Amino acid sequence: MSSSSGRAGGDATDLVCQLDCVQGMVDALSSVRWKRHQDAVAEISEHGIVLIVEDTGCLQGKVYLKRELFIVYEYAAEGRPRFGLSLGLFVDCLNTFSTPGHSPVIEIRYPGPDMQLLLKSVDSPDACIYAEIRTRIPDTISWGYNFEPAGNIPVTFTVRSAVLKEAIDDLEWPGSNIQITLQPDPPSVTFRGDGHGDLQIEFPYHANTDLLIAFQCDHAVSHRFKYKFLGATTSNIPSGVLKENRGSKVTIGRGGMLKIQHLVSVRRPATPHSRGDTSGLQQLGHIAYIEFFVKPEED
Amino acid sequence: MKFKAVLTQDGVNLLDKRFLPALDKLGRFCHVFLTPDHAMFLHNLLGGDGVQSVAQFNKDVLFTDYRISSQNADRIAFAVEVAPLNRALRSALTIQAQAGDDTAAIQIKLVKKLSARSREPAPFLTFETKGRSAVVQDVPISKPLSRADVLQIQSALDAAQDLPQTLVQVPDLAQLQSLVERLKNVGDLLTVAITQYGDLHLQVSTSLINVGSEFRRLRVLGVRADPPVSDRNLSAPMRMDMAIQRGEALSVQVNLRHLAKSLQCHLAKPDCAFYGIAPQGACMTVIFQFFIPGTRLTDKSISFYCRLPVLDPG
Repeated sequence: MSSSSGRAGGDATDLVCQLDCVQGMVDALSSVRWKRHQDAVAEISEHGIVLIVEDTGCLQGKVYLKRELFIVYEYAAEGRPRFGLSLGLFVDCLNTFSTPGHSPVIEIRYPGPDMQLLLKSVDSPDACIYAEIRTRIPDTISWGYNFEPAGNIPVTFTVRSAVLKEAIDDLEWPGSNIQITLQPDPPSVTFRGDGHGDLQIEFPYHANTDLLIAFQCDHAVSHRFKYKFLGATTSNIPSGVLKENRGSKVTIGRGGMLKIQHLVSVRRPATPHSRGDTSGLQQLGHIAYIEFFVKPEED
Repeated sequence: MKFKAVLTQDGVNLLDKRFLPALDKLGRFCHVFLTPDHAMFLHNLLGGDGVQSVAQFNKDVLFTDYRISSQNADRIAFAVEVAPLNRALRSALTIQAQAGDDTAAIQIKLVKKLSARSREPAPFLTFETKGRSAVVQDVPISKPLSRADVLQIQSALDAAQDLPQTLVQVPDLAQLQSLVERLKNVGDLLTVAITQYGDLHLQVSTSLINVGSEFRRLRVLGVRADPPVSDRNLSAPMRMDMAIQRGEALSVQVNLRHLAKSLQCHLAKPDCAFYGIAPQGACMTVIFQFFIPGTRLTDKSISFYCRLPVLDPG
């Protein structure tokens, strides 16, 4: 693969990168797309690209695309350039690049002559797809999602992503607010929805080792979250994550801030999927990290 | 006004498995236009701002024992819903198969009958299949079109003979269809440009995004030119702009949904397809080509093309 010059035409280009797994990137970005039209802020650095999405100061989603995910990653900026763009358009646009049975190599370049994000397919000389996405100056609001552990020992549990999604989907029926409680004795996690009726879902740690992969809690904590925001954290988990039996990590921080982390595979579809791979450790280079922060409801 | 004919086996196969499913995707209703030499299925030739399509068959491809007469130079046109037509043909085919006798012919004719729904006799296209017993199916059709409407169809057909100067062969219909389906999420307004070098350029633009696809070095029919060497390192949109400035390309804007619709024509299993832009950018033309089975020779007895209306860029 020839790497193209990062300084085409003498204009300063902050980033030129190439990717050979468009579908994986679409999956990763779709997992934080909880509305059709949604704005995102992208931040690029020598380590990779981070996309941040936010809703009414209560919910934030982040996608970390590390530089290892790209086959070429040439970063030449000072500081960490940030720009705003429409997440929906970015995903729909990436989708046009992926054709069934063919995984093209695409080049992403920023900024274009008019500060656009430029994309083009580079693997076929006779058929090329290209896109220019208008970017905007990102909002300067401070992102108030400083996550700090609640005590010396983080209060956290890891559960299979499919189980977490199923539980949250089930809680849609009572709707309204969902109370999440972790208690050390007996070690368990409880989701309780109280609205049109009430529904309680309990994950006892010892009863079923398949349910909770990890559990850590030295004192009982309990916080309420709006269902709307909690639902957004799992509503668009790519089906690959569920099939590959991956785990999601849920942590409750100081003040009841909820952090949910998923791992999304970003790799060429040609690679046969290894079954029963729960850790995915051997493929960490091909993982996009997804993080959600949900602010608790104040009582 | 009389029309009566027996469907050939080839005709049944062409219509049932290929053309009627494609025509149904183009629009629920079509016009059937019968002349002493040809049978045609038409969409949107009498006004309407949708995709115009013409599927024309030499009468001998579809029929034997073809008898037509009318006071309008032996031409008859009427509107019919495609799906019931296909259903009637399919069940006629089943009856024929059950008879286990290839000579059990499917005859179609125009009739006027009293139906349960009205007191006035209504027009039907009747399929009569003589298997073990004769089975008759009536497909409701419109009243025959007036002389003025038939003239309008004829002049629209004549106007469509104006071929684009340059046609390029569409690379891969399935791949193009998948691209167009995905582009639908981005926007509706599609710019199509075709160069004399054999480049096809599709671009959807909105205020926030431009997404395009360029296919190069396609087969060219008609007027062609050699691509300038200096273009090689330009971006795809630049290359297209230069070609238009040099007068070696034409560009029009069409509705992406219209292009998607025309791509459904591949249900008719054409052997290849060509895109062109009519002189003065009057429309985008899509021509499907059919080979004589087992050869690479064009089957001149079938012609199938679409004309996509051009949108006013203002």
